[in-house]
Amino acid sequence: MRGVNEEISNHINGTATCRSWIDFRTTQTIGVQIRMITGFALKEISKRKKKYLLNIMVIGLVVVLLITLNSLGIAYKEASKLPFENIHSSIIVQRNGNVPENTSGAVTPCSLAPIKGEIIPQINKIDGVKGVSYGLFLWVFDKDSFKRFLGVDWNDDRGKRIGSELIEGSLPQSDTDALVEKAYALQHGLKLNQTIKVSGTDFAVSGIIETSGKDVVSSDVYVNLNSAQNMAYNSKNLQDTEKFNKNDVNIIFVDADQTKVKDVAAKLKGLFSTPSSTAGKTPTGQTTGAYSIYTPESFESQVSSLFLISDRLIFTVSLFALIGAVLIVIKSMSHTLLERRKEFGIMKAVGFRSWDIQKEVAAETLLQAIIGYCIGVALSFIAIFALAKTTVSVAIPWEMSPYPHFLTSNPNLIAPVQTYPFPIRFEAVYSAEVLLAVFAISLLTVLALSRYINGLNAMDVLRYE
Amino acid sequence: MSEIIVARNLSKTLGNVKAVNAVSLDVRKGEFLAIQGSSGSGKTTLLSLLSGLDRADAGEIEFGGEDITSLTEDELALFRRKNVGIVFQYYNLIPTLNVLENIALPLFPESDNKKEMFDRAKVAAESVGLSHRLNHYPNELSGGEQQRVAIARALINEPEVIFADEPTGNLDTETGRKMMDLLKSLNKEKGLTIVMVTHDDGLAKEADKLIKIKDGVVTNE
Repeated sequence: MRGVNEEISNHINGTATCRSWIDFRTTQTIGVQIRMITGFALKEISKRKKKYLLNIMVIGLVVVLLITLNSLGIAYKEASKLPFENIHSSIIVQRNGNVPENTSGAVTPCSLAPIKGEIIPQINKIDGVKGVSYGLFLWVFDKDSFKRFLGVDWNDDRGKRIGSELIEGSLPQSDTDALVEKAYALQHGLKLNQTIKVSGTDFAVSGIIETSGKDVVSSDVYVNLNSAQNMAYNSKNLQDTEKFNKNDVNIIFVDADQTKVKDVAAKLKGLFSTPSSTAGKTPTGQTTGAYSIYTPESFESQVSSLFLISDRLIFTVSLFALIGAVLIVIKSMSHTLLERRKEFGIMKAVGFRSWDIQKEVAAETLLQAIIGYCIGVALSFIAIFALAKTTVSVAIPWEMSPYPHFLTSNPNLIAPVQTYPFPIRFEAVYSAEVLLAVFAISLLTVLALSRYINGLNAMDVLRYE
Repeated sequence: MSEIIVARNLSKTLGNVKAVNAVSLDVRKGEFLAIQGSSGSGKTTLLSLLSGLDRADAGEIEFGGEDITSLTEDELALFRRKNVGIVFQYYNLIPTLNVLENIALPLFPESDNKKEMFDRAKVAAESVGLSHRLNHYPNELSGGEQQRVAIARALINEPEVIFADEPTGNLDTETGRKMMDLLKSLNKEKGLTIVMVTHDDGLAKEADKLIKIKDGVVTNE
């Protein structure tokens, strides 16, 4: 007989064909061993379904919770940005102004007070700014109707985008030409080459534009920027409210390098003067004369409170879910191991080392985690698929609504809420992160149970069982 | 015949009881040794020390000329896997594994060929007359069949020594007789060394050698 100690020593020290910590000898052997261990673990789980059901359910629920909650959080954030993203700009600059004395003729909305045209070249010089577009948006209160009136530069990015929505006719060739929005044209029976009177000025309809549901600034009448500036300049009601120079605008779109949006926004704030502390207030409480600089993030923070879901909440719930899952799975597995201690005693008696048993328990824990994970992912997929069929209503800050807040003739149009398809998606990256979390749960469970397995003495177990 | 096991001054205390007290004995290769004693005499504890299932508080055990008392827990597990087969009174089968899997259990930690592992288990099952019950689970077997599974499991690694702790203690007379015959045939035909613990005088007398133990002390050899 080969010496017992020599044989064991070879086995333990790896001087023969084995390594000290593991029996595996070749890659092929590892594959076979993994298959055998997995088969053994699968058999154990299938034979004792009821015992392991709790663990699988807990893991499944945690997976559903983590994936769905995080997807919801991201989806709500994306939803809150949708109105902004549709405008296709990195930053929007507006200025708060006074309410006009009376609602007649052309006025600027009090959220769109005049901005000095001289500021635009300075904005262009800011590092990170890729382009600047601007316009003049007016509310025109004529006796027969209310009109939204937008002056644009057809050569800048914003103007080109609007021009691309032309469905009939051509872009304004002169300052007396105008584009009319299709719905407005239908409502008022306007056709190409007809005349539309806006605040006493006649404009020839050179084209029909369809902007409803499109990603452009919505208006009823679109004209050359110069035409709108002339109208504003000549409007007594507007000039009485705040002095307007011929090259002034009231909305600026800044296209910035995505990595520098925050820096650009900060520098923009530095460009604009701060109103004095004695300045008046707009109807909704903003300081008159103050500039509003909107970025997707600022817009998000402005509306996210409505959704009652925040990163902190998601993090807290996720953390508690994970801790809870770890505790429940460890508790449940400990209970199961306690019930199986005789089996482990038998295994040790016939030659299993602690490590051999730990491998089995690890495989069982991992398999439960994987089964729970798969169930959780499937349920999350179904939940997210169902949620994606719903819609989400996003509150629009009143100052970004193109309609006067006091106009009630068409409340659907001026409602400060827009409805979008809920932008929730099943993201592979979340499920991969959750898989890591599930593996972490398994690892913690196995580590917690390893000590127990190490401490099991075969004879003690078999003697008293 | 040469000694395969040499034990000197083995002692083991369980709680406040000295279960084994300075026991020395030799087991020769191919021998059928019976250790007889009443309940609580220390015979099972002595068997667990000799088989490497438990550690002695004092004394030495040489197995095949090598000292096993200094081995670590994992080394002892490997020692048991390679060199001994153990048969328990209560069979100690794993309820979620079928007959074939229970028999193959000792091969499982280091087998790299599943087919070969189960082929060996089938041969062991055949040697104890269980070829027709391979896919049954322990709860579907009689006591005698379960004990045969336990013996086949003990044989699977082709050990030098089989340790049997009251192998007939949980069986009816007829089945116990068959079990004893099986052990004797393994001893005679395959030359296996068998160390059997029993309280039964009749069975003990069938062994080549009988050791009586009382209060942890060998009273005759």
